[in-house]
Amino acid sequence: MALPPNFMPLFRASLIGLGLGCSALALAASAQDAPEAEAPAQETQGQAAARAAAADLAAGQDDEPRILEAPAPDARRVYVNDPAHFAAVTQQFVIDGEAGRVIGMIDGGFLPNPVVADDGSFIAHASTVFSRIARGERTDYVEVFDPVTLLPTADIELPDAPRFLVGTYPWMTSLTPDNKTLLFYQFSPAPAVGVVDLEGKAFKRMLDVPDCYHIFPTAPDTFFMHCRDGSLAKVKFGAEGAPEISHSEVFHPEDEFLINHPAYSSKSGRLVWPTYTGKIHQIDLSSGEAKFLPAVEALTEEERAEGWRPGGWQQVAYHRALDRIYLLVDQRDEWRHKTASRFVVVLDAKTGARIAKFEMGHEIDSINVSQDEKPLLYALSTGDKTLYIHDAESGEELRSVNQLGHGPQVITTADMG
Amino acid sequence: MRSCLAACALAAFGATGALAGKATAPSETPLPAAEVAKDAIVVDITKMKYATPEIHVKVGDTVTWINREAMPHNVHFVAGVLDEQALKGPMLKKEQAYSLTFTEAGTYDYHCTPHPFMRGKVVVE
Ligand SMILES: [Cu+2]
Repeated sequence: MALPPNFMPLFRASLIGLGLGCSALALAASAQDAPEAEAPAQETQGQAAARAAAADLAAGQDDEPRILEAPAPDARRVYVNDPAHFAAVTQQFVIDGEAGRVIGMIDGGFLPNPVVADDGSFIAHASTVFSRIARGERTDYVEVFDPVTLLPTADIELPDAPRFLVGTYPWMTSLTPDNKTLLFYQFSPAPAVGVVDLEGKAFKRMLDVPDCYHIFPTAPDTFFMHCRDGSLAKVKFGAEGAPEISHSEVFHPEDEFLINHPAYSSKSGRLVWPTYTGKIHQIDLSSGEAKFLPAVEALTEEERAEGWRPGGWQQVAYHRALDRIYLLVDQRDEWRHKTASRFVVVLDAKTGARIAKFEMGHEIDSINVSQDEKPLLYALSTGDKTLYIHDAESGEELRSVNQLGHGPQVITTADMG
Repeated sequence: MRSCLAACALAAFGATGALAGKATAPSETPLPAAEVAKDAIVVDITKMKYATPEIHVKVGDTVTWINREAMPHNVHFVAGVLDEQALKGPMLKKEQAYSLTFTEAGTYDYHCTPHPFMRGKVVVE
């Protein structure tokens, strides 16, 4: 719905003023000017901003352009990363999930891995740039940002371009629970995990690891990985020397495929790992050892017989306090496991009992939840480039944020409780 | 809806130079397995494995890797093993072979470029 024509000039003048000199925070303003359809949430914001600007003008208040700060991080801040279908540069959108408002942005290079400190104290990513756009000398680095100014507070180079360039898997780059260390995965020429000291702002070293993937930290010096043989590896590392590595039992057969986007709550030590069929393995890492919980089926026998399967990118979310699992599902061929889904099932993680099945109303590729008491259910559509924000209890769509890059795929929240 | 590739490690594949400090390659490009001499020292590649993951040879011996399956494989020695530069052998299709002549004693670890979990070792005595 268009704004009354007489509103537009005022509205433009005021918001462009605010946006000047502030590329990081300019999006909320420039999005309003775009000729594309406006989501209702932005319309309300635009109207409110226009009213305020009109009132300021009427009162004779001068426009004093300046660089804004984002509001303090809270439970409903949500990050949307756009890998942009493998483009050489990428963007991260910082969004207020409560208002459905873009409150900032961060630039990245090629297929960066974003991380967000659970206490809201910083955000960071492991990124890759080249001296000539997409060729020339390669530089891998870790950048840490202040979560309010969005200014970089550290830029740490990683020697010998060790990052694994892959479609963004959140648990390929992880923070230790004390937020002092960032760990990243190296695939080639040999499996390894890089240790980056965020506190001392320095790359430390590479740890040789077995043929295992993903990084789930449980302590400042301990993390778990998932191995080709179907076991988990526990890796304990010191300041130097070879890490201590032990393997769990094999917990899934070779023909049972675990997705690339498991959910992991670092705070509760719960790893929630769906298979292609919607069987969910849960591993409790809270003791520092892997305890395998009974597997649950997210889909009923009847649904599975009717061709229901999980599918998407971030297919699973876990709410720590409610101990609930959310899974993207739809009717699909077995090998269309990366297409969008139109439904989310909610289950009790303890009993496996179905709590709800929501029809999302859109083609959803990724989901996540806020970790507060009455969580929001975030549903990101890569095709629509839109974040749909739902009430996690009723499944009702509350608002949406559109124009999120070229192919947004990854939703990150902080577990601040 | 466009979907992204699963484990698309965007590593660059392809052959590097024929010469390395501690080994030389008689041919930079793969040869048909049928052309490998009957008495050659062969490491077969099958079922995502080097069939003889540790092979012992003498200085001057030529080792030939033959891929016996449809999945392409190669041999890849990282920088500092045979030379300052890495030796990244060409990808071998089914029934293709690639050889290296080892000119110096030592133990040389290698792996397959797209399958880093495939590892082998040549011990040159
Ligand atoms: Cu291979």
